[in-house]
Amino acid sequence: MCELSRRRFLQALAVGGAGSLAACAGLPRKKTGGRVVVVGGGFGGATAAKTLGSLDAGLNITLVEPKARYITCPGSNWLFAGLTDLLRLSVDYRTLTEYYGIDLVTDSVESIERERRQLRLTSGRMLAYDRLILSPGIAFNWDSIAGYTPEVAELFPHAWQAGPQTVLLARQLHAMRRGGVVLIVAPPDPYRCPPGPYERASMMACWLSRHNPRGKIIILDPKRGFSKQALFEAGWRRHYRYGEADGLIEWHSLADNPITQLDAQGRTVISDFGDRFSGDVINIIPAQTAATLAVAAGLTDAGGWCPVEPKTSRSLFDEFIHVIGDAAHFSPMPKSAFAANSEAKACAMAVIGLLREVEVPTPSWLNVCYSLITPEHGISVAGVYALDAAQSLVAVAGAGGLSSPAISGSAELEAGYARSVYRNLLKDSFG
Amino acid sequence: MPRLLLALLCLGCGFRADAEVDPALLALNCLSCHREASAPAADVPALAGLSASQIRQDLLDFKYLRKPATLMSRIAKGFSDEELRAVADYLAQR
Ligand SMILES: Cc1cc2nc3c(=O)[nH]c(=O)nc-3n(C[C@H](O)[C@H](O)[C@H](O)COP(=O)(O)OP(=O)(O)OC[C@H]3O[C@@H](n4cnc5c(N)ncnc54)[C@H](O)[C@@H]3O)c2cc1C
Ligand code: HEC
Repeated sequence: MCELSRRRFLQALAVGGAGSLAACAGLPRKKTGGRVVVVGGGFGGATAAKTLGSLDAGLNITLVEPKARYITCPGSNWLFAGLTDLLRLSVDYRTLTEYYGIDLVTDSVESIERERRQLRLTSGRMLAYDRLILSPGIAFNWDSIAGYTPEVAELFPHAWQAGPQTVLLARQLHAMRRGGVVLIVAPPDPYRCPPGPYERASMMACWLSRHNPRGKIIILDPKRGFSKQALFEAGWRRHYRYGEADGLIEWHSLADNPITQLDAQGRTVISDFGDRFSGDVINIIPAQTAATLAVAAGLTDAGGWCPVEPKTSRSLFDEFIHVIGDAAHFSPMPKSAFAANSEAKACAMAVIGLLREVEVPTPSWLNVCYSLITPEHGISVAGVYALDAAQSLVAVAGAGGLSSPAISGSAELEAGYARSVYRNLLKDSFG
Repeated sequence: MPRLLLALLCLGCGFRADAEVDPALLALNCLSCHREASAPAADVPALAGLSASQIRQDLLDFKYLRKPATLMSRIAKGFSDEELRAVADYLAQR
């Protein structure tokens, strides 16, 4: 099943033609004055800026992002199976600036002066806002595993922000000795992309099955279960001899005895009670919080994430700041690119309503996360979200849920949809 | 049952408030997936060119499991028939 040719896969991945404006052509394009600054050009920030630009030509929209090109985490696990590369996972902001009238400021925000409603950028420049939308993503909790620091992560990559670390981890996997062991230390909830570590294990197993069939991937998990577990385990059984002595993937729940230490010299991770696990390749995905900027601005709660009023995504601590994407506490929605895109659209509508001083429309949100078990076996989890009578965010009962293996051909169909949805979501977010 | 009591009973158990969701916003969420399809068999189908009644019929068929789908039934079940009609109208007018 891991034999799908790289070429066929890449063909399926190529982005289609132009026409990005057409999707929004029918929406009312009114003009409202107002300065909206969006911080962070990831899925949340790009979608927010684009949606604002397509709904209201009168807004003054600025997007602040330090990187000229964004590398998507979605799709980055496919690298481990040798199916893609960083270039194909990169986008720039040209369409946003050329077609949606967005001012791109290539800089990063150093601090938020909330009282004055202005931002201080690293260059020293100041930026004033009427409404601020933050989508700055995540930070890592470096205290969670002793001996695992940002410097050590350059040798034992987390690869949880797609980029050079993803390439390094793929190289380490591909160069691993025959019969070697990969350790994946999964993070505790909540974290970016709940199915991500398990899709990663699948894509690594796909590589091993062809190039290093006596190798093994061991997932050490501080959780008792994980996203799409039944679907992953069924897929692993089907393709990777999961549950057998020579299986390519093992999953161990260490809920009562999690990994707390790395001995980098000995290439060993150590649990709370002193159990030791050695690996040839070690991928530690640390515990996470909202990005540093959000923490420093006092927008996070004790759990490290930004609490918001779901209807408008306004921070509970500042009525002029909206927080979306991974940094925000939008539970029960997962922290995914799809969710960030959906949150951004509701946020853009709310921001326009608040600026125009009209009723904010009743939002609903969608999330769909696909994962590949092999290039030809896809699975998904979906959710529809809405406000309940108390204005809290809830998953709509009876909707959403996991792929049904009963649908004939669903594994193959969903592998195709996984790529198609990736491509379309990228286009929808970045133009 | 009095309305307030109903509202209280619904707390936290996934029941939506009765306000209808905004069709324009919902449509934006559909369009994350439904854009141009380049390889018709493998891609999410494009909705361009479908009439309001076709989209509506598809959505109802997905919701009531009259049409097999890998995904759409899980989405359509999240909305009232009226909301599905409104989003179908909206998408067809685009
Ligand atoms: C391996 C992996 C696989 C994944 N696969 C999927 C998938 O298949 N589907 C899916 O839906 N999701 C997936 N995700 C999750 C997805 O990547 C995130 O949920 C998504 O990127 C969140 O978007 P965001 O806008 O909140 O943050 P980000 O995409 O992280 O964007 C944040 C941006 O803010 C910028 N920034 C940060 N601080 C500042 C500052 N001070 N000033 C200015 N800019 C700043 C950063 O440079 C960055 O560009 C995956 C994640 C991983 C790690
Ligand atoms: C995550 C991607 C995704 C989202 C979001 C999504 N769809 Fe779909 N849609 C699909 C897929 C995949 C199919 C193919 C049927 C299947 O297997 O579910 C489909 C099929 C359809 C069809 C049938 C089209 C045809 O020609 O056969 C219609 C109509 C449709 N969707 C409407 C919608 C509407 C309306 C929304 C928003 C409420 C929506 N979709 C949201 C992925 C999506």
